[in-house]
Amino acid sequence: MAIIEVKKLSKNFKVKLKEKGFKGSIKSIFKPKHKIVKAVKNISFNVEKGEIVAFIGPNGAGKSTTIKMLTSILFPDKGSIKVLGLNPMQDRKKLAYEIGTVFGQKEQLWTHLTPYDNFKFFGAIYDIPDAAVERKIEELKVLFELDDFINTPVRNLSLGQRIRCEIVASLIHNPKILFLDEPTIGLDPVVKENIRSLIKRMNKEYKTTIFLTSHDVGDIEKLCKRVIIINNGQIVLDDSMENLKYHYLNKKIVEAKMKEKINLDDEDGITILKDKGYNLKIEVDTTKRSVADAIKLLNPDNIIDINISNIPLEDIISNIYKNKD
Amino acid sequence: MLMAVRNQIKVIFLSIKYALMRELLNKTTFLSNVIFMVLNNSSMIIQWLILFSIRDNFGDYGLKQVILLIGLSSSIYGFAHFFFEKSFKLSETINTGKLDAYIVQPKNILLSTITSDIQVSALGDLLFGLIVYLFYGFSFPSFILYYIFTMTGGLILVCISVIFHSLSFWFNNADLGADTINNMMINVSTYPDSIFKGAVKWLLFTIIPVGIANYIPVKIITSFNPYLFIINISVCLLFIVITFIIFYKGLRRYSSSNLMSARI
Amino acid sequence: MKKYLFIIKTEIMSNLQYIFNVIFGYVGYFILLFILFNLWKYLYSDPNELINGYSMSQMMWYVVITEILWMALGGKKLNTKICNDVKSGNITYNINKPYSYIGYSLSTHLGDILVKGVVYFLLGMLTGLIFLGKFPSLNIIQVIVVIITMFLATIISILIIMALSLVAFFIEDATPFYWVYSKLILILGTIFPIEYFPVIFQKILNFSPIYVVSYGPAKLFVDFSWKSAVVIIIAQIIYIFIAYIICQIIYKKGVKRINVNGG
Repeated sequence: MAIIEVKKLSKNFKVKLKEKGFKGSIKSIFKPKHKIVKAVKNISFNVEKGEIVAFIGPNGAGKSTTIKMLTSILFPDKGSIKVLGLNPMQDRKKLAYEIGTVFGQKEQLWTHLTPYDNFKFFGAIYDIPDAAVERKIEELKVLFELDDFINTPVRNLSLGQRIRCEIVASLIHNPKILFLDEPTIGLDPVVKENIRSLIKRMNKEYKTTIFLTSHDVGDIEKLCKRVIIINNGQIVLDDSMENLKYHYLNKKIVEAKMKEKINLDDEDGITILKDKGYNLKIEVDTTKRSVADAIKLLNPDNIIDINISNIPLEDIISNIYKNKD
Repeated sequence: MLMAVRNQIKVIFLSIKYALMRELLNKTTFLSNVIFMVLNNSSMIIQWLILFSIRDNFGDYGLKQVILLIGLSSSIYGFAHFFFEKSFKLSETINTGKLDAYIVQPKNILLSTITSDIQVSALGDLLFGLIVYLFYGFSFPSFILYYIFTMTGGLILVCISVIFHSLSFWFNNADLGADTINNMMINVSTYPDSIFKGAVKWLLFTIIPVGIANYIPVKIITSFNPYLFIINISVCLLFIVITFIIFYKGLRRYSSSNLMSARI
Repeated sequence: MKKYLFIIKTEIMSNLQYIFNVIFGYVGYFILLFILFNLWKYLYSDPNELINGYSMSQMMWYVVITEILWMALGGKKLNTKICNDVKSGNITYNINKPYSYIGYSLSTHLGDILVKGVVYFLLGMLTGLIFLGKFPSLNIIQVIVVIITMFLATIISILIIMALSLVAFFIEDATPFYWVYSKLILILGTIFPIEYFPVIFQKILNFSPIYVVSYGPAKLFVDFSWKSAVVIIIAQIIYIFIAYIICQIIYKKGVKRINVNGG
């Protein structure tokens, strides 16, 4: 049975336009101009119990709007949503007991209090008896490795530590689904990796269904079995991670700074993007050649500095469009 | 249902307790805020001492009644701003998308939002209200009445603010209108109604309910009148109902971000 | 001087956009004026009666002027801004700039409130006229003199509030100082003319800032004499001088303190 069912969902925003300068301001007082922005256009999808689903797309694609409709924050204009069989608009309170939310850009914690006090507060919000809250905090403290700072005021914590606390706070009431909106935004790569593995561990431990949005390909690659890509308010791809990897994520970008020049012109599975003497940028087709192999070609002794990255999301999306045509 | 109410109240008090803990981190600032507010309000007493040196009564109001009015108005203001401070900044919460955090909680959205912060100096207003009341003369029934009216008046003040700030769901500059109305309520409430005449007086007992929240209570404490008492209570309840209707109507239009003010 | 004029001009331009703020601000001004008009109307049983030397119409025009001076001032905003500058450490960024912080803040705030001031003045005059039917007997040159004293009064007010706000260098929260100052001005300078207070008190008030920031210009407007105009303007110039120096001293001491603490 699907735990989240979305059918033909649409949402528009009315945006007030303002022309520049003094004249524009005067004009906008008397004759305000509006523009309808179609944030989400007629999308449908299902999520099964226990899944980790990533909802990805560039900024402004409609990810946040969708997740906010699923969590009762925004009223949809058209279409229907069922989360755990409930309508987020009519059964907001009932649903709130069953779901957890973490919005990377909006903090829910009191910054002058310690994580521990914050968790107690969330316990009260979800009407959990004191003893049960204590037990849950103890359990999550171990899982999320909070021991070092559970009694330090939140404002003194690093961004990564804060996000961990935000996630724990949203798990105090044992939600069946966890919604994460850009959980790794603004974090450095090491911390990102740490958050991802914690999310994965939590999914295993509690069988929590996880629905996350991101514009970071890394997030989904490490976490998800299934990916929904959204662009301009429409779903462009709803597929398993394996397929996505096979068709679109099969390329890695390798940038290297070399001691000596090297010629890779005729190598199979390698496309040279930029070759400026000692600075080399190549694309490796991983279906034909592994990244490790490519590095061997460069000769590790010859490398001063190296950076391996994914193809930007925008390129993947334009690739998807190309394949559809 | 009863359980839900109890849990809601528990969260409200926990939230106020935490906010108070934050303010108490700096005790000097905390105390100076409270004490200076008491001094600040005392200046109104000076103003009226001067006015009463010119004339010895203002309609039904002698010096004692005017001072009672000032005390009660401070008390009402203090109650509203201490427990429900965020209702006076609701537009900002709406426009910056900060309502999200309260919508995803299984509690009443409006109540959780408006009780999520306190104003420390409002404690000074409450304290000033208490001092003035004691100066006016303690008696058990009048003490109970004084604090019932502090609550009903405070709630009316909160409701008016929430109603006008909720217009932010529809209009861009609603916060300015709401601030103006709130200031007007405060300004008017420290002058006795006897100086107003005609249409204005009528307005004060209807659309701008300073009359019901502040003037009627002074009349009741001076000499008890059950009809006026019922009016005070029922108008307060009516405002609460209207407030919830308007807020929840607006919530359907909530856009959860500052997307609305996008510039081109 | 030119750069300060430019700062003022830029501020005026950007503030023209906030017409709504001005309009709503005026509504607030109107309400306060309306309350005080009602109060004086109630107090004067006979409009020709004199209380402490003022007729009813004089009292009301007095309040029109003092309220313009007070409401257009935007003191709370200035206080909050300077306290924040000090607390956030922004104020130290200004040390290396080729202008003084005091001069800079004074000109930004003046520019900020000038449009508001002009609008309030015009609307205030109109409101007074509607309520009272006629202006006090003043010729155009005398009106200009009053406007000059109002402008100087505003500069003094800004400098005083700046000095009170710069105290934030030394204590955690300086806003209560502003409250007390604002209440003193409101009670001792806005609602009542100095003549309403006991005689000994009047002598003190005549040398206090109240004389130059509110009483002076308003008194001139309702009861003009060239002699008092000269006295007021001289007093104002002295006050500007003193207030400016005090601001500089507090600022220099404060900045030094921050440097010592490595703030």
